[in-house]
Parts: sequence; C-alpha cells; structure tokens
Amino acid sequence: MSVDIQLAPVIHFEPGQSGFSSARGVNLAAAALRAGSLIAFVAILVVFSVTAPYFLSVGNIGNVLGQSAISGVLAIGLTIVLIAGGSNVVTGGIDLSLAANMGLSAAVYATIAQLGYGDATAVAAALLTGGLIGVVNAIAVVGAGIVPLLATLAVMNIVAGLELVLTQNTVIPASTPLLTALSSSGLFGIPALAYVLLVFTLIAAAIVQYTPAGLRLYAVGEFPDAARAAGLPVRRLVAGAFIASGLCGGFAGILSVSNLSGSTTGSGEMLLPVVVTALLGSVFSRRLVPTVIGTLLSTLFVGFLVNGFQLLNISSVLVSGVQGLLILLVVSATTLLRRQEA
Amino acid sequence: MTLQTSSIGTPTLPRLLLGTVVDNALVLALVTVFAAFSIATPTFPTLANLQSILVNNFTLLAIVAIAMTFAVSVGGIDLSVGTAVDFASFAFVSLVLAGQPVAIAALAGLGAGAAVGAFNAVLISGIGISPFLATLGTLFIGRSIQQLLTNGGNPVYLPPSGAPEAFRFLGRGAIAGIPVPLVIAAVIVAGATLILTRARFGRVALAIGIQPSVARYSGITARAHVAVAFILVGLIAAVAGLILSATVTVYIPSSGNAFLLNAIGATFIGTTLSRLGRPNIPGTILGVLLLGIVANGLLLTGLNFYWQQVGTGLLIFAVLALSFINRRKATA
Repeated sequence: MSVDIQLAPVIHFEPGQSGFSSARGVNLAAAALRAGSLIAFVAILVVFSVTAPYFLSVGNIGNVLGQSAISGVLAIGLTIVLIAGGSNVVTGGIDLSLAANMGLSAAVYATIAQLGYGDATAVAAALLTGGLIGVVNAIAVVGAGIVPLLATLAVMNIVAGLELVLTQNTVIPASTPLLTALSSSGLFGIPALAYVLLVFTLIAAAIVQYTPAGLRLYAVGEFPDAARAAGLPVRRLVAGAFIASGLCGGFAGILSVSNLSGSTTGSGEMLLPVVVTALLGSVFSRRLVPTVIGTLLSTLFVGFLVNGFQLLNISSVLVSGVQGLLILLVVSATTLLRRQEA
Repeated sequence: MTLQTSSIGTPTLPRLLLGTVVDNALVLALVTVFAAFSIATPTFPTLANLQSILVNNFTLLAIVAIAMTFAVSVGGIDLSVGTAVDFASFAFVSLVLAGQPVAIAALAGLGAGAAVGAFNAVLISGIGISPFLATLGTLFIGRSIQQLLTNGGNPVYLPPSGAPEAFRFLGRGAIAGIPVPLVIAAVIVAGATLILTRARFGRVALAIGIQPSVARYSGITARAHVAVAFILVGLIAAVAGLILSATVTVYIPSSGNAFLLNAIGATFIGTTLSRLGRPNIPGTILGVLLLGIVANGLLLTGLNFYWQQVGTGLLIFAVLALSFINRRKATA
C-alpha cells in the first residue's frame, strides 16, 4: 500500500470565463500558442541575425549548439523524470540532484583520469556514479515513498558534499584523448560537443517518443491510477526514469570535464536554469507536454538568446531576467489556454 | 488512525508502539540526534552552545521557513522567498546609507518584500500560474533586477561607524539578555501559529491546501486567500532580510537564496512528519531545529568541513526514509 500524502496539490481555480467563448476561438488560441513559441524562436533568430551579422553564421550556430550541450543533456534527463512524474512539480517528478550529480561525476572522471587510468575506465566510473545517484533517488522515491522534491533535495546535499570531499573544493585538471576529441572541432568546423548533443537527443527521443516503454512513461505520469489498473509496472517505470536521469547527469559530467579541461566547483548553479529549460520545453510540443525534442528546442532557444545578447553587447545580467519573463509569459499563455480547454 | 485500528480489532502492542513512533517521528528524530551529539561531543549540550545554535543556526532560517509554511499551507510553494529577503535587505541598507531614519528604511524594506509577494499573488491568483513556475520566474527576474541595481552584483556596504544605533540594535542588540533577532523570531512564531490555528484565515488557507475543490464548493474565495498567503510570505521573508542586513551590515545581491533549499526542507520535513501530514508551524520549527542541530553538532565533532555537508545530507535522508517507511507500515 502506498500512502498518498497530498503535500501540495496544484491550486485549481474556477475555470475562467474570460477570453474566447466559441470552440473555434479555443482552437485558434491553441494553435496560436503552439505556433507562437516557434514563431518567437524564429523571430528572435531573425532579429539577432539582422542586428548582429555574425549571428547566423555556421560557426556561431555550431558554437551555440556546443555550448548548450551540457545543459541540454541535463534538461533532457530532467524531462524524462517530468514525463514519468506528472505535471505537478511539487508532488510529481522532479530531480533536484541533477546538477550536483554532474559535478560529482565530473570530479570522479577527472580524478580517475589523473590517477592514470584510461578513458574507458574514467567514462565507466563517471556513468556509474551518475547511475548510482539515480538508483539512490529511485530507491528513495519508489522504495521508501519519499516525495521526489524532498528525496532529491536530500540526495543533492549528499552528492554536493561528496564532490567537495573528493575535490577539496579545488579544480582537478584532466587531459585525455577523449577529452581532446570532445573539445575539438568536427565536421564544418563545428564543435564536437554540438554533434554529441544532436546524437544524444536523437537517441533519447527515439527511446522516449517511439518505444512502448516511452509511451508507458507518459501513461504513468499523466494517469497513474489508470496505468496501475492497466497493469503497468508503475514503480519500475518511475524508478527507471530516475536512473535514466542519473545517467544523463553522469554523461553531462563527462562533457563538462571536456568543456572546462577539468572538474570545477559550482555545478549547483546549473540547477535552476536546467529546471526552467526543461519546464519551458513543453511549449515546443504539440500537446504541451514535456518531450525530448521540445526540451532540445528550449535549450537552444535559451542558448541563442544568451549568445545573441553577447554579440549585441547587451549586459549579461539581463539574461536571467529574460529567462524569468519568458517562463512567466509562456506559462501564463499555457494556463489561459488550458482554462479554455477545461 | 484510531478508527482504522478499532475496525481491525484490538490493536497489538507492536502496532500501537509503531503508531506512537510514527505520530511523533519528528520529536523522536530530534531527541535521538540531540542525544547522539551530546554523547559524541561534551561541548554540545552546554548552555553556551545551545544558545549559539539558536542565534546562528536557527533565527533567520526559522523566519524564512515560516514564510514558506504559509505558501505550502495553501497548497503552493515559493521559490522566491530569497528574492523577498534580498529586496528587503537592499531597500533597508540603501535607505539607511542614504541617511533615512531606520524606522522608515525598515518599513520600506518590509514593503519591498511584500511587493515581491504581491507580484507572485498576481501571477498565481490573477493569472492562475502554478506557484512553482510563477515563483521560479520571479526568482530569475529578481536576480536580474538586483544585478541591474548594483552595477552587476556589487555588495552595498554600510560602514560600521555609519550604522545608526537602532540599526545595530536590530542585528546585535538584546532585550533582557535575549538577542533581538531571537525575540523577533519568537514573536513571528507565535503570530504565525495563531494565524494558522486560531484565525479564520489560517483554517481556510489549510482547507484550500488540502482540498481545493471542497473549499471552493463551500463558498471560499480561494483566490483571495491564496493571494494574501503569498503576500504574507513576502512580508515575513522581508523581516529575515532586515535582520540579516542589520547583523552583517551589508547587502549582498542574491544572498537570500541560500535559505531557499533549507527552508523548503524544514517546511516539508515538518509537514510530512507531523501527525496529520499538514503544514504546521511547530513542525516547521522542529524541522529548522533538526537542521540547525545537525549542522552545529557535526561542526563540533571536528569532522572535515566537506564531510559535514555529506553528514547533514545523510542524516536528513535517513530521517526522511525511516519516517516514510514507518508511516507506510503503520497504515498498511
């Protein structure tokens, strides 16, 4: 028997009476939002490319892709947990340990590489670290029944502490053939990390969007009772989502070592931006649900925004403000839309 | 609980014991941790150290966690409590620096915190955005605003000589031997407990948090109550901002975020480990005490600073896991 403690259900208000009244208007509004996010994306690209000539060059686009690789991998990991946990972030799916996971995995990779072991060992160790963190999350959430927000918060503290113990809060430099390859430029002078992000996204999307297991994840997240009644292994699927997210953290750790030529402190700073990116991702999908491709688009959206600001010499302090405004705009549009459909 | 056991028949002794353990999980956890540290380090249970726990590990987090409890009580969460702390601190320090009377500056600080709460209230009650996302947006926007106000994140110092007497009193003064911040925290604890348990507003807020639909059908104006709750969050967090800046005589941009995760932890520990599983002030306070005692106790054990963070995480994790597992057994 599981205990359903209603810690913080979503606040539901009376469906609004404002706005469109006819079904046609609703459809129009829905289409407008779905198209709107993409149009906004394109509009920003156009504005930047007109004002900053270098913006639309192949080199710059490749740069943005490469710089987005780490946050993209993390956000996709979080997306999997969001899918399996449902839309309520407080009681449902969230993995607050992801950024700390990346930090520890990076530290493990760098330490092992520095000890003189080969890339294969270091990669395996980093992925194992990430996977183990995912297993701990899964046991805490599925086994002990702790709410994901609390469970992953506690795990985040442990993992961040372990990273400090391992690195003594210093930078651990690392240089291996794999890291050199990852930080070099590939085809068309585009950073190798950009290709890594694209390939990773394709694989993740193929698994989540096009396999029976992926479909079941959505069922578990959106209608847990129905999924249980239909005989789906709900607990195993949720546990799997947390482990997958942990592995993504480990993978992002390897990428971050290559990007910074070593493990560095302060990975926790990535947490909230990654949460925002993953949550924003659902507007880039047709049914306004979290999807892997949607998350990739929202990662690139944020990446291009930051990059454009840099090219135009707009102060970088505005970036987080714009991110905040974006999420509010997008979410209020989604909320108003959902109200129409209700 | 009693209904369930009576329907089964005479409760067995182990079951009764288990029920008692589950009902008082938080107090038991606190007593266990306290006893363990008292045995491990002789300096832990001294009066001086217990005082230092209250002053250094308790006061500010308790105030922020109480603010968070109001957000959780209406079924929400507030990721921007730190933003309210920062805005209050910024307004307070800047105005005192500009030579304004401390009382006026403090009022402005409270107003700044309440404004953050009001912004959230508009997003949540007005537009209907879920509290998690709305306050996440506020957190990000607040970060940019603070950097813009401080030329990219420079702290605003108040020279110790330039700080008025009243300003220093707020941070380091004492009333009848009790530090002023602790007195303020006690007043807020008492006030918040009264509001949540005795006042109509508190009961309505909890009803909205537990059963939004039932609350709605009973004719409760949920929107208004949720809005007031989030403004209260900003206002209470602002008090922490005033005390923080008066203690360290400086405003550091985005420093209030340091409280966020601990405040969430304390509030949810208090909520989930309480008998009814509802947000409540005593539970939150016990949660803050647990975090404070663990932090202080580990410090005294002389453990490497980095291991302390691991230890804190492990202890909290163990408490959570044990209580959730016991709860599951008790209801099975």
